[in-house]
Amino acid sequence: MSVRPLLLSVALLAGCATGNIPPGTQVPAERLAAAVAPGTTTKAELLATFGKTQAVVFDSGYEAWLYQSPAGNGRFAEFVILINPQGVVTKTRQGPVSAPKP
Amino acid sequence: MSYLLRCLLLASAAAVTAAAHAQDTPSDTAVATVKVTTTRDPVDKSYRKMIKGMERFEREHSYAPAAGLRFQLLPRTPDVKMEGITLRVAGDTLSAKVPVEPDNSFVLPRNEQLLREDAAVLANRKTTSMTWRAAIVTPGLPAGTRRLGDMRLECRVGVEAGLVSNSSPLFGWLSNALTGADEVCTSPNGNYLFFAERPLFAVRLRAGERSATLPFHFLYAGGLPREELPFCDCQVLLDRTYYVPLWDASWPDDTLVEFEYMTDVPETQP
Repeated sequence: MSVRPLLLSVALLAGCATGNIPPGTQVPAERLAAAVAPGTTTKAELLATFGKTQAVVFDSGYEAWLYQSPAGNGRFAEFVILINPQGVVTKTRQGPVSAPKP
Repeated sequence: MSYLLRCLLLASAAAVTAAAHAQDTPSDTAVATVKVTTTRDPVDKSYRKMIKGMERFEREHSYAPAAGLRFQLLPRTPDVKMEGITLRVAGDTLSAKVPVEPDNSFVLPRNEQLLREDAAVLANRKTTSMTWRAAIVTPGLPAGTRRLGDMRLECRVGVEAGLVSNSSPLFGWLSNALTGADEVCTSPNGNYLFFAERPLFAVRLRAGERSATLPFHFLYAGGLPREELPFCDCQVLLDRTYYVPLWDASWPDDTLVEFEYMTDVPETQP
């Protein structure tokens, strides 16, 4: 194989190095804690109240959603929500706090 | 992770396209032809490499001094049947059966003749239907936990043995070019995937009084987009997939890795 394909690949990879992972939608922690209740809050209510955010959808029908809450000094705390196949929140967790990616 | 994968795929595609174009140019027609009669199925593993993994386990046993080494087969495609799997090590003149336990784990015997014959470890399943991992587990750990030192050694053995089964050869080639065997287990960009027994909601580290919940991007292969899943050997285990900071020496080998699962009791399959 000539070096041309390899150089092209390396150039593309170098360009990728500056990319950022899309963050979750930002919502104050107090609003999330007050509005999201396992066993009652639905996926439709989350969408209507806080909007779409970073999510992973599994073959099982479960979904994991990530919101981010400002935690001061440019840092953010995670708020992770688990939604069951029926569209109801079953679990939430807060943290950890981390600086945004450059 | 997902962004990196996208970039790797893009770069792979570029390399393939450019290589194909290069084959059409007159200047390349004089290159000698190599006849390839067989290709090794990604589900099949090199016996020599797996033995090298076992040798690494012996050399670096201090990461997990109380644990033994097994290998484990895991599903990679939705339709693969994980019951009744048989394994054999096949060389040119010799073939040996390898007993597989009901949890699809096994111990690989050492045989000098099979090593000389550069044998393959073969499973009775289709191409890319399964993936492989080392299983190094210290006995007596609390339920729902693992030990970080065991996982550090699993990574070293797994990489040395060539167990990760990503489906695109060029994708794998690029990955290996970017991360050598030692780098994978000592770099934050190593991205060696582990699989929990059940779907995960959170993973926490605990060492004495210190504890920390791992960030969201340590779970679910970093939120890999669905269109990229077929390239990852986490394809059907996405909800069980996680990274741990193997590279972070501030967490000792005795650190417990604690799992919070999506459900408190395992959900039965339909």
